[in-house]
Amino acid sequence: MTDKTALLIVAHGSTVNPDSSAPTLAHAAEIRRRKIFREVSCAFWKEEPSLRDALFLFDPKSVREVYVVPNFISEGYFTQTVIPRELELNGRITKRPSGQIWKYCEPVGNHSLMTELLLKRAGEVAPGVNPAETSLLIVAHGTDLNENSAVAAKREAEKIRALGKFSEVLNVYMEEPPLISDWRKLTETRNVVVVPFFISDGLHSYEDIPRLIGIPAPAGVDRGGPGSTPPATAHGEVFRRNPHKIDNRSLFYAPSIGTDPGFADIIVEQAKS
Amino acid sequence: MQNPVERVLEAVPFCFGEVLVRKSGKSLLLCHRDEDAQDDLEMFQNPEDAIEIAKYDDAGNYRPLKTAPNLRHGWRMKLQSSAELKHALGHFYPGRLAVFFAWQRGELRTTSLRETLDRQSGMYRIAATISDAQIDDLVAGFCHSNGGCLRTILWKRDQHGTIASTKLPIQKFDPTLDQVQALGRTGSATGTTVPLLCQESCNLLVAACRKVVKGE
Repeated sequence: MTDKTALLIVAHGSTVNPDSSAPTLAHAAEIRRRKIFREVSCAFWKEEPSLRDALFLFDPKSVREVYVVPNFISEGYFTQTVIPRELELNGRITKRPSGQIWKYCEPVGNHSLMTELLLKRAGEVAPGVNPAETSLLIVAHGTDLNENSAVAAKREAEKIRALGKFSEVLNVYMEEPPLISDWRKLTETRNVVVVPFFISDGLHSYEDIPRLIGIPAPAGVDRGGPGSTPPATAHGEVFRRNPHKIDNRSLFYAPSIGTDPGFADIIVEQAKS
Repeated sequence: MQNPVERVLEAVPFCFGEVLVRKSGKSLLLCHRDEDAQDDLEMFQNPEDAIEIAKYDDAGNYRPLKTAPNLRHGWRMKLQSSAELKHALGHFYPGRLAVFFAWQRGELRTTSLRETLDRQSGMYRIAATISDAQIDDLVAGFCHSNGGCLRTILWKRDQHGTIASTKLPIQKFDPTLDQVQALGRTGSATGTTVPLLCQESCNLLVAACRKVVKGE
């Protein structure tokens, strides 16, 4: 990377979930700290700066190249339609009238390091637990709008299964079979590790998946409504109470994979590749 | 040669939305513009802390629109460089400083609301069927500086240059004016103002257009 190179990390963001953009902003801060790029910025579909604002984030006099890395778990509607349209990208490489070059990179979820990250997260959430006596469940949403997150989750599960470390590695979904709510029937081991295959924590990982698993949801989860309780004390509590003892089994529940600091490495790698 | 942030700094003290920036010795002090005289404010020294300060309003509600006139009170930030200031302001009002610089350079392009709506796909495609009369009312309520958004609107309603809303005061479209003054707050600092420019309608307005069309 040259001193005239910038990084733009693009993510979805949310108008109701305060934590949606937090991992992306944290990854940006970490990459900024490493001083690899002259500038590191984020842009969001649902938050600010918007994708349209991003067109003006980099002064063409000081920044000649902009690497655009989608912080998305898979290819899909946003990476293939929304981001190119909003950022006025013509393909992999777009030259602006100013001469500034924009390079459109692969989404983070496509990178081979994702597998290592999932393994690392499973190990961190269940320290000292023998993987050979453990089932690993990777949870995706399912029935997403044109998204291929289910495909990406399947790919990762297959790669981890091939390593032969865990007793079982399964893909499960919130809204289509095999359902996460059926985890008792789907698994036979005493230990179960559940990793949400999402880019950020939010209602799905804080509340919906725990409910489907059978973990009581912490009180005070913010749904973004007027007067809702600030979520600082409640959010993340569910991840700190591992293992959850359910039906004489130990269930270890991890934060969404996208909150792993290792995502910063993947973002940089996607820009370099 | 000065960078754009340093040039803006020459104007200190200045207001950027609801944030007041002033110098104190070699440091830069930021606070809510209503509270410069307060001496019991919580102190911050890391520009990244601006993310959390800007996330919730005084009542603890999430702020999906950072340019809404509801920045929380009770904080002061002490920074040491123009680079730190740029980062902090980028978190308080994401993207707005860069848009201001592009405007200063004469490189800011505006996009009419009709163009923005016509570009939408998926669930937002239907938003393009909103009528002119509905836009006139919606933008007046949604973007009004007193309760809606502090940005100065530069975009037009359509490619013919129609004003975004005839029901907004003309000051809403003037980058030389301080939108916070529209709130009529007493005690607000009134130095130089760096405007929060709006070159294209935000996605919140696009979503609101969709709701109007769907009668929600």
